Amino acid sequence: MSEYSIIGKPTTNVDGAAKVTGEAEYTFDMTLPNMLYGKLLRSPHPHARIVSIDTSEALKLPGVKAVITGKDTPGGKYGLWRRFSELSDQEALATTKVRFIGDPVAAIAATSEDIAEEALDLIQVEYEPLPAVFEPLEAIKDDAPLVHEDFENNINATRHIEWGNVDEAFKKADYVREDRFNLLGQHPAPMEVHSSVASYDKGSGRLTVWSSTQSPYFLQLGLADALKMREGNIRVIKPHVGGGFGGKNSTMPDSVNAAVLSMKTGRPVKIVFSREEEFTTTEHRTSMHLAIKIGLKKDGTLLAKEVKIITDGGAYTGLGATTLYLAGTWITFPYKTPSYRYDGFRTYTNKMWASSVRGFGATSALYASETQLDRAARDLGMDPLEIRRKNAMTPGYEAPGQYKVESCGLLPCIEKMEQRVKQKWSKLSKDEGIGFAAFAYMSGGIFNWIDTPYAFSGAMVKVNIDGTVDLFTQASDIGQGTNTVNVMICAEELGIGIEDIRLHPADTATTLTDLGAWGSRETLMNGNAVKAAAAEIKNKLIEVARLKLGENIVYDLDAKDKRIYLALRPERGFSYYDVVKDAIKGNDGEPLVGIGHYTPHRKGMVSPAFAMGIMGIRAKVDRETGQVEVKEVIAVHDCGQTINPLGARGQVEGSIQMGLGFGLCEDLPTENGLILNPSFVDYKLVRTREMPQIELFDVPTYDPEGPYGAKEAAEATTAPTAPALANAICNAVGVEFDSNVLKLEKVFKALKEKEAKEKGKRRR
Amino acid sequence: MKKELKFVVNGESYDLWVEPKTLLVQVLRDELGLKGTKWCCDSGSCCACAVILDGKVVKSCSILALQANGKEVLTIEGLANGTELHPIQQAFIDNWAFQCGFCTSGQIMATKALLAENPKPTREEIQLAMDGHLCRCTGYNMINEAIQDAAERLQTQKAQEGAK
Amino acid sequence: MTNTNYRCPCCRKICSEPHDLARHFLGQTDKKHKDWLKTQGLSYAQLITSQAEFGNKGYDTLAEVLGKEAPRC
Repeated sequence: MSEYSIIGKPTTNVDGAAKVTGEAEYTFDMTLPNMLYGKLLRSPHPHARIVSIDTSEALKLPGVKAVITGKDTPGGKYGLWRRFSELSDQEALATTKVRFIGDPVAAIAATSEDIAEEALDLIQVEYEPLPAVFEPLEAIKDDAPLVHEDFENNINATRHIEWGNVDEAFKKADYVREDRFNLLGQHPAPMEVHSSVASYDKGSGRLTVWSSTQSPYFLQLGLADALKMREGNIRVIKPHVGGGFGGKNSTMPDSVNAAVLSMKTGRPVKIVFSREEEFTTTEHRTSMHLAIKIGLKKDGTLLAKEVKIITDGGAYTGLGATTLYLAGTWITFPYKTPSYRYDGFRTYTNKMWASSVRGFGATSALYASETQLDRAARDLGMDPLEIRRKNAMTPGYEAPGQYKVESCGLLPCIEKMEQRVKQKWSKLSKDEGIGFAAFAYMSGGIFNWIDTPYAFSGAMVKVNIDGTVDLFTQASDIGQGTNTVNVMICAEELGIGIEDIRLHPADTATTLTDLGAWGSRETLMNGNAVKAAAAEIKNKLIEVARLKLGENIVYDLDAKDKRIYLALRPERGFSYYDVVKDAIKGNDGEPLVGIGHYTPHRKGMVSPAFAMGIMGIRAKVDRETGQVEVKEVIAVHDCGQTINPLGARGQVEGSIQMGLGFGLCEDLPTENGLILNPSFVDYKLVRTREMPQIELFDVPTYDPEGPYGAKEAAEATTAPTAPALANAICNAVGVEFDSNVLKLEKVFKALKEKEAKEKGKRRR
Repeated sequence: MKKELKFVVNGESYDLWVEPKTLLVQVLRDELGLKGTKWCCDSGSCCACAVILDGKVVKSCSILALQANGKEVLTIEGLANGTELHPIQQAFIDNWAFQCGFCTSGQIMATKALLAENPKPTREEIQLAMDGHLCRCTGYNMINEAIQDAAERLQTQKAQEGAK
Repeated sequence: MTNTNYRCPCCRKICSEPHDLARHFLGQTDKKHKDWLKTQGLSYAQLITSQAEFGNKGYDTLAEVLGKEAPRC
């Protein structure tokens, strides 16, 4: 019998009825009385000085209520890396120059979207085009045009990580290999486009913004910086969000300009991006040049690893600096690496900026490291699972000065994979192959580049006289099921039912700060805050019950199944509802409120806990066309204690869809800074007929840092998908790739080149 | 110049005047306040906007409102019976067949149309029928399971009604 | 106690080893640090490019210079 009533049990979505009936409201759906519609005028040039902007004709169009340019905004600069003011490089509207095609220069508020759109054409902008740079290796040259004048050689951020003596270790290695990769970007492509509604109250000077955001708090800070307002005078509310995947962390021009326009007109203003704007002017996965060198003993033991990464940052910072740091961290996972050196450089280029997307550097980094590891295994004559087993992290492993892995179920995951593959995939057809990739990922980051003075996550629980509970938490459910997880944790801790709890989510005015939904932090960090808040109430109830029972203080009481009772003699206890009444009435009517918060302390430089696992993919290649068919996926993961198995499965499968997209079909080709495929017609997502059957196995462990031992689930599984697939393709038909997006023409070309090489060898 | 649009939506009759260029999805959302139907791709390539028009599933972003003149439209808001969820809606909940929920209305309406035409679809038939629907969250397999579950529930419901 | 540490010539950063100071130095994106490199006949771009190759050449080069030029404290 499980020790938990709710944790670990499949639980349906607390927002389920709202979402299946169309009642769930997204920012995209919102209307307010007297609301205006906003549109942004965007630069057609990748790099240009703004000479002049004439808005007079646009203002004359009936229905237009305001037209603003950069000089009409408060002019505050903002960004997510607020600790380093020079990295707050964004502005509401470009003032002196534009830095990418799509950089907004003006904004209009009108009585309808059509009128706003029409008025855009009436704004006259004179630009002086400047030389532009699109490639990181060009951008760092001395003669490259500068995207931001204060950043010479267009170096936006650097990162160095080192432990052990890597040069000595390479000398001792029996086998050394270097590989270079070009990892391409990917767009998060959420179904709901960026949308914001802003309403400024003239009387109080306070602003309310509703936005499709992953972090109401980050948005509150960004708006405060942009508008030069006190953050407490800005209220951000997150309605239901139609997906984020990393692309909705930053403060973006929709929210800032809706706010400025509302301040100017005194009316609510809504800005919704078109799908083309979503593809071309919102954050996407960072593309990068990656060089990786490993030194192994002949038995496959890893001795040394050296990695160099140059990322294509685009025109602003966003969370791209974090991706730079994390890529150099994830590439050491999940193996014991005695010595390591990493240098990462992020360059500015004249393109839409790259930031964080599901995997946050791991998706790109592990493509390189996991395909390289297979190449090494082949050279050493080793089984790919064996080489991974040999080097696998184990509980308590520490990378000096960087991170410590407390719980780690990687070895049992590998064992389970081996077992299952023997059972399921022992017979392969022609041109079929199996590939593996191991993985790990963080459960929230310890970083504070946002420069918050607050605990990383807070929650408040209020229990009413009738035993119903109001749970206040700023955690952002963007589809990943955080609302359900939080209600489950609160219910478990108080020993009550999900139906007893009403959730009040994601409103900066009524909830305690939470840093938002990124880096897979919500379950561990906000879960801990919710658990602590509920525990504070539970302890109060236990004390009331203890007094009523009159038992010796050494006897423990517990809360479960809507009772508070003696742990050793459960029949001695009281109904939760009665204890609640006593707790309130017997305490001068004092409200029954619990507050909890969580911040990781002394948990290294990365994360308090890491999910682990391994993925296997069986794929078939059609030699005639290069088409790859993904037949089946087996994923084995250790996410500590799974809170909601239904939600976890859904998340893992979704991450595999995105991972397959990264591996097979999603790319963002650009020409002179222009993204060439800004629609779902040309930007290919994996669809239902292409999704393989997926088997997911859970290897439970217990992480002391997580609520009930829980760690993250399902951002981790984005990363191994593409390399496992690339390894499967290699095992099927013998071709290797140094980049992702293995479209059929790329695979076909590789097959033909291999054929030609082999013919050439045979002739000799 | 506006033209008259007379149609039935979720069993209610409406008599409106709309611009000829107005899309069906715009009338449903902006005139009738039925925001459950979403749209998001600007290119008719995602099916989030799917509704049922005279019994057939259509992309409401690709139909002019006036093309629905004299016809019957069923949207997500018309599916439940008061507070009682439709078996398809319940199946979606029980199978965790949505996450962010933005594509869900379109998926559910298309499921209704599919199951009306093919009450016992195989996994392959479901995938073929639903291939136009983009979902960024789920990876589709749990949606397909929900659809198969919904098919079974509808068959059971039909049998129970038949027995009465 | 003898002066065993190295102070950055452009800001208040103190490191115990020239290599650590070199890492700090190449991580700075402001003009002051970049200009100092030029006075030493070094190019930021070249240092970055050589550090982006396998090996530690960028830091080694800069560490050697900083070992001589950085004030001790």
